[in-house]
Amino acid sequence: MGGVRTFPFHMSEEEQRRFAKAQERLDRLGGALPVVNVGETIQADEEAAFLRGHGTQLVDGKLVATVCGIVERVNKLISVRPLRARYNPGTGDVVVGRITEVVAPKRWKVDVNSKQDAQLMLSAVNLPGGLQRRRTADDELNMRNFFEERDLISAEVQAVHQDGSIHLHTRSLKYGKLEKGQLTQVAPYLVKRLNHHFYQLKQFGLEIIFACNGYIWISGPSEIPDKKGASSELLVNVSNVNEMHQCTGNKESTVPTEKREKICRCANALRVLNALGLLIYPESIIDTYEASLMWGTDIKDMLSGEFHVKVLEREVSKRSKSV
Amino acid sequence: MVGLSAAERVYIEDGIAQDLRLDGRGRQHFRSLSIQTGVIPQANGSARVRLAGTDVIASVKAELGSPQPGRPGCGNMFISVECSPTAAPEFEGKGGEDTNLELAKALQRNFLGGASGAGAAIDLTTLIVIEGKVCWELYIDGLVLSSDGNILDALSIAVKAALSNTGIPKVQVMGGLSLEEADFELSDNPEEFSHLDTAQVPVTVTISKVGRYHIVDATAEEESQVSSAVSVAVNSKGLICGLTKSGTAGLDPSILMDMISVGKRVGLKTISSVETDIAAAERTLEAE
Amino acid sequence: MEYISPEGLRLDGRRPMEMRQLHAELGVIAKADGSATFEMGNTKVVAAVYGPREVQNRSQQLQEQALVRCEYSMATFSTGERRKRGKGDRRSTEISLVIRQTMESAILTHLLPRSQIDIFVQVLQADGGTRSACINAAALALADAGIPMRDLVASCAAGFLNNTPLLDLNYTEDSGGGPDVTVGVFPKLDKISLLQMDSKLPIDLFEKVLELATEGAKATAEYMRERLSENTRQLVSARGLLRF
Repeated sequence: MGGVRTFPFHMSEEEQRRFAKAQERLDRLGGALPVVNVGETIQADEEAAFLRGHGTQLVDGKLVATVCGIVERVNKLISVRPLRARYNPGTGDVVVGRITEVVAPKRWKVDVNSKQDAQLMLSAVNLPGGLQRRRTADDELNMRNFFEERDLISAEVQAVHQDGSIHLHTRSLKYGKLEKGQLTQVAPYLVKRLNHHFYQLKQFGLEIIFACNGYIWISGPSEIPDKKGASSELLVNVSNVNEMHQCTGNKESTVPTEKREKICRCANALRVLNALGLLIYPESIIDTYEASLMWGTDIKDMLSGEFHVKVLEREVSKRSKSV
Repeated sequence: MVGLSAAERVYIEDGIAQDLRLDGRGRQHFRSLSIQTGVIPQANGSARVRLAGTDVIASVKAELGSPQPGRPGCGNMFISVECSPTAAPEFEGKGGEDTNLELAKALQRNFLGGASGAGAAIDLTTLIVIEGKVCWELYIDGLVLSSDGNILDALSIAVKAALSNTGIPKVQVMGGLSLEEADFELSDNPEEFSHLDTAQVPVTVTISKVGRYHIVDATAEEESQVSSAVSVAVNSKGLICGLTKSGTAGLDPSILMDMISVGKRVGLKTISSVETDIAAAERTLEAE
Repeated sequence: MEYISPEGLRLDGRRPMEMRQLHAELGVIAKADGSATFEMGNTKVVAAVYGPREVQNRSQQLQEQALVRCEYSMATFSTGERRKRGKGDRRSTEISLVIRQTMESAILTHLLPRSQIDIFVQVLQADGGTRSACINAAALALADAGIPMRDLVASCAAGFLNNTPLLDLNYTEDSGGGPDVTVGVFPKLDKISLLQMDSKLPIDLFEKVLELATEGAKATAEYMRERLSENTRQLVSARGLLRF
């Protein structure tokens, strides 16, 4: 076995050969890459002043990488972006997180696949009836009426403080508790930065949250009717705090098989892209989804070695054409 | 694992009811499996099994020992399991002890047969060197490196493959008739190693109940939803060699019988493909 | 016992200054943040890294830096003689400590305050040089997890038998009663981060053996760098260079 990386799917010998060949071609198409590894010196013009960014350190006046990754140069700032690292939060990022702890009376702790759990303050959540911040003995119970342990929520990064603590808010109708869908975890470095992270795949009747932290949420179109005065932002199947009590009806209905199949095929397309290390964004998912239909691949067979090899080969031919 | 939200649990349960699980599988589908044998060169036999994200190794070491009192014509087999912390931080320190014991017990039930030595996966009488005095003892060790559910089934397949891969050296007994008195000369020549008859070695299929339905080969997420499960060890003749019920919920006898028959059916299918894979793995090993 | 033949060959056919075959692979444990296997001849270990993540035990949380934890385990079948190893035996505890300290000196812990990094090393085959293989596997796993380090750490051991310094001892040589010097280096910084020795050795001989072990560590570092490089290239080719 020559490969340096183990892939999470099984391939026959023939498939391994095709895979290695496709990887080789990808590598050649890539050409010279501005990559660096731990402990290596980064090319920097000694004379010109440079600013030291993330992923670098100064050793004897030379810039040395502290992680393996891509060298980014923006004006004078030189930094190295690591690849498979934990999510690095930025203000304004849309994330999907899992409540890990209810810390009454005023905050939740949320796992967002980062170096620390994030904080969601009670004051950062849309509460019904406006401001009710009075601390009562029922606070802890009340908090669990909104979000309890293990709930999945969508939120936005409000701020990242000096000490590394991450603060979230759900102060918009589009954020809140997630249901009637499926979570798929991918590596954050593969999620492309988009203008909108709530995306509608109209051709499949699906909605995806391209969470920057790699916790991707797929569901069917929102059943919540467009509220008067609501923003034109897409509403994902969100059991929003404001609509908590109205949603109990919806909780009874199950996701029908037809919808479920689409969600599942989409989730598997995501898993395949993630396993192959390909960039994840609406077009790449749609393309992989449609390819699976074109090739007549059963949903479960998308996780086979054969499908992965075909997707990689398809990517290679796509890139060859655009060269 | 922190666990899943109520909404996710409902979604999983409904999917299973509709025969469409999170990864697109039906209730009775096994994920794809890969088997490698001879992975631990210093052992008499070994195998590594990968079942999606679950990755386990089984090794067989043969040592000379004495038969147990009461069964002078039988060799001995011992099974133990260890979950490595590499699979999950929860297995650090003593964290894996309960899981290790539970897995070992289930495997022992499936492979070791009764107290008399009858019904074991391997005919224990073939392990005798000197009747009543000296026998081979097979120490089977399972190691779980990575987990995405269904560790028991993966381990049982690894054990079967490891036993198929096992070579017992030829023994020459000199100057005595017991373990303490005699000198034993073990052949170094792999050509002179004898192989075990593994035709009767079963494979375990765990059937897990989620809501009103049952599934085979549960992922880690699905396992968090399971109320009760039955692990059935089936051999290539379709005979049930062991049964373990786990989980806290009680099972209606008719449902239990239903689950067992699913286990037998899936088990027969699985064991036939496993035996093919093992043979292929052994051929690859020989070619190397 | 003769560890070196009159022709100058060791028991496994190597020359005194020859290392065993090295092999490393990354991403072997899917659920871990970073993982690697490392082989030195017949010694084979797996390392998995979980983190940096939220500290699990609040009382252990460090305000200014990451908490680094490490556990070393040997599989029952890893040695020639099968021995049931309980966890927490003296040797395992000591090696866990050594690996932790070595990796902690490499990780830029102050960049990851109030977080926890768990390093788990599992020995699958032990044929001498286990300590070194574990450190090398751990270093690669940390790099795979994108954890910032001041440099890679590479380790190798050397000994002295039949009046000759020997590089990268296997189990039989290790059991020969001679000294065993394990060294860990920061290859780029050209500094020694770990130094351990068993048994006795006069100073001048010690210097020779230390030098040999250090050369071995540097050669190991070069191999590790090549593998990491290949890995990084592969990941970047697949993803493309689109700005983060």
